[in-house]
Order: sequence, then C-alpha cells, then structure tokens
Amino acid sequence: MTITVLGISGSPRRHGNTETLLDSFLEGAKDAGASVEKVVLKDLNYTPCRGCNACHKTGDCIVKDDAPVLYEKMFASDIVAVASPIYSMGITAQLKGFIDRAQYLWARKFILRTLDFPEDYIRKHKGVFISTAGQGLSHVFDSAFPAVTALFHDIGFDYVLNIVANNMDKYNGIKNHPTALKEAYEKGQQIVRELENSTKNA
Amino acid sequence: MPVKVLAFAGSPRRFGNSETLLDWTLAAMAQEPDVVIEKVPLTEANINPCRGCNACEKLNKCVQRDGMDILHDKIIQADCIVLSSPIFCMGLCSQVKALVDRAQVFRSRKYVLKLPVVPPERKGKRLGVFLATAGQDWPHVFDAAVPSVKCFYHVIDIKDADIRYLMINKVDEKGAIEHHPTAKSDAEKLGRDVILELKKRLGEGQAS
Repeated sequence: MTITVLGISGSPRRHGNTETLLDSFLEGAKDAGASVEKVVLKDLNYTPCRGCNACHKTGDCIVKDDAPVLYEKMFASDIVAVASPIYSMGITAQLKGFIDRAQYLWARKFILRTLDFPEDYIRKHKGVFISTAGQGLSHVFDSAFPAVTALFHDIGFDYVLNIVANNMDKYNGIKNHPTALKEAYEKGQQIVRELENSTKNA
Repeated sequence: MPVKVLAFAGSPRRFGNSETLLDWTLAAMAQEPDVVIEKVPLTEANINPCRGCNACEKLNKCVQRDGMDILHDKIIQADCIVLSSPIFCMGLCSQVKALVDRAQVFRSRKYVLKLPVVPPERKGKRLGVFLATAGQDWPHVFDAAVPSVKCFYHVIDIKDADIRYLMINKVDEKGAIEHHPTAKSDAEKLGRDVILELKKRLGEGQAS
C-alpha cells in the first residue's frame, strides 16, 4: 500500500517561507514513495466555527462548506502535515479558523461517544507541524503547539514531529537558512519510510 | 476628559460566557463617573484575517478595507482596551486571532517605520484587560492564548505590566458562568480597579 501524505498550508501568503518548508517536506515524502497532495487553505471556502454547539447534539457541523470536506480528506491520509507561519505568537487566524471547525469531531469523541480511535489506528496515522517565524525567540512556536495537538487528537493522529525554523527575518527567508529545507526534506523521507516499516512489521 | 473604554466581545456566540464576563466588567466600569464605553461584538465588526502581504511595512496602513478602518482609530484613541475571548482548541477563537493578527499594522509602524503608535504623553496611561473563559478545567488551558494577547497589547503600546487578566475555566455550556462562585465579583472588582487606576494615571498627566 502506498502511504498517502496530505500537506495543509495555513499561510495567507502563497509560496512564502512556511509553504516552501512544507514543499520540501512533501518532496522528501514523495521521493520516499508516498503519494503526496497539498491543500492551500486560502484557496478553500470555509468560515470559522460559530460556537453554536449544534454538533454537540448531532455530531455534524451545520455549516456546509469546504472544512468538513478537508477533514474527510485528512481521515483518508496516513500522514498529515499542517503548516502555518507564526503570527503574533500563534498560528494564523486562517488555520485557527479551520482547526476550530473540528469541534464536531470533538463532540463525536467526548459527548456523543460515536467516534473512537483505537491505539493501533492512532499509531498508523502520523501528524506533523511545520512552521516558520520571523522572530529569533526560541519559544516563539510554543503557543502554536497546543492548538495543533488539539487538532491531531480530534482526528486520531499521532502527533510526532515539529519541523520549525525561526529567525526568518534575520536570514531574509527560508532559502537562506543553512539547514531547514534539507532537514524538512529528510524528515519527509524518514517519516514515510518509518511508517512503511512499522506497518510491514505489524 | 472621560475615560474611554473600547471593549471587544470576541466570541462567535453572542451572550455566552466570555461576553457575560465582559458585560459584568463593563457594568462595573460604567458605575464610575466620567467613563465612556464602546462595546464591539466581533461578529458584527467585519474584520478579515491578515493576508501577510507586509504592505503595511511600507504603506503604514493595511491594504484591506473593512471594519478595521474604524477600529484602528478607536484602538489608538481608547484609554482602556478590553478583549474577551472563549478558548477554542487551546487558543483564542479564530475571530479574536484575526483581530490580533490585524494589529500587524501597528507592529510595522512601531518597529519597521519607527513611528509612534500613541503620542508619547499617552504612553503608560493606557491599560489592557483580557477576559477569557474555557470549558476545560485544566489550569493551563489559557497558556497558549496569553502570548498572542501580549503581542496585541505590546504593538498598541500597552506594556505587559499594564495588562489585567481574568480567566475563568470550567464554564462550558451557555450560562455556566452565572453559577461560578467568584467570576462576577472578580469581574466587577476588575472593572472598578481599572477605571480608578486609569483616572489616577490620567490625572497625573493633567497635573504636570
């Protein structure tokens, strides 16, 4: 079985530092034999969560747009890499808007108890977070992680890897970073090979 | 001069827990003499997310024409800026994050163009208030929201020490905060204290 990798770019800016880093990761995954697809959030049509809690009763979101479709696509993937630049010490409002829409999955898991991911399922689904920040602060990504953790919990993925590069302002862009793109490429290869080996052995 | 308060009700759900917390705070502020309060529900504010185009670094203004056109000026004019948000997925709801990200124009003004955000004589005479509610009972449920809130206030010239926080966890369903033992009294005390502190600071400015 070919491993499927879905990359989700959460930047409002096309082909910027974060998307370039995601591209490098996906390139590595592809070269390791995976089937790779990239979705750009800014090209989708979705609105943020309204907090209406209707999903707490029905398990479905009342808003019919591209968000639930993308969640279905995530469920059909073995590896999901979510990418966002850091804006104001967090993920972009665009990615946060998409993540907040996972509330219907949370409701299925914790209120309606109609969704459950067995340990074995989670082990076979890997989540990756990819990010860049202009700031050089070492803790600049810390506040992004909890929302990403919440996302991968909601979809039953094992959140195993962060590929992050700070100090973009100093380097004047990811292309001038000494190691980030190469590392992302290698990690893309590595995660596909590891998942392939673990499922073979299972 | 009255104390000007600009308050954002950030939740997509109107009249829920975070907005109730805000209303309690604002009601206490309104009890004080000479206070003008404007409350802006973000559901009606028409604020698009930042596009990351960085044009504000050159233009000193945002290229987007939306609700921020008016709010930009109000943010500068206010003595107190109150921000309320529910916690969604361990962070600010995306509607509030959009407002925070749109403050990029202030960051560009301050750090790239090296221009003042507020006139020097108003520095240190503005306060920020962050109000939040969360359904989860974890004490760390607010941790990831706070750095973004600090960013927002920082770029509009309200330093960390001038931000007041009231964050109430374990209130999930609509109206749950009504049953919280201390939220209402804490919000009222916060509202009063903030106005008294501002009057003190603004008064000092007039005396000199």
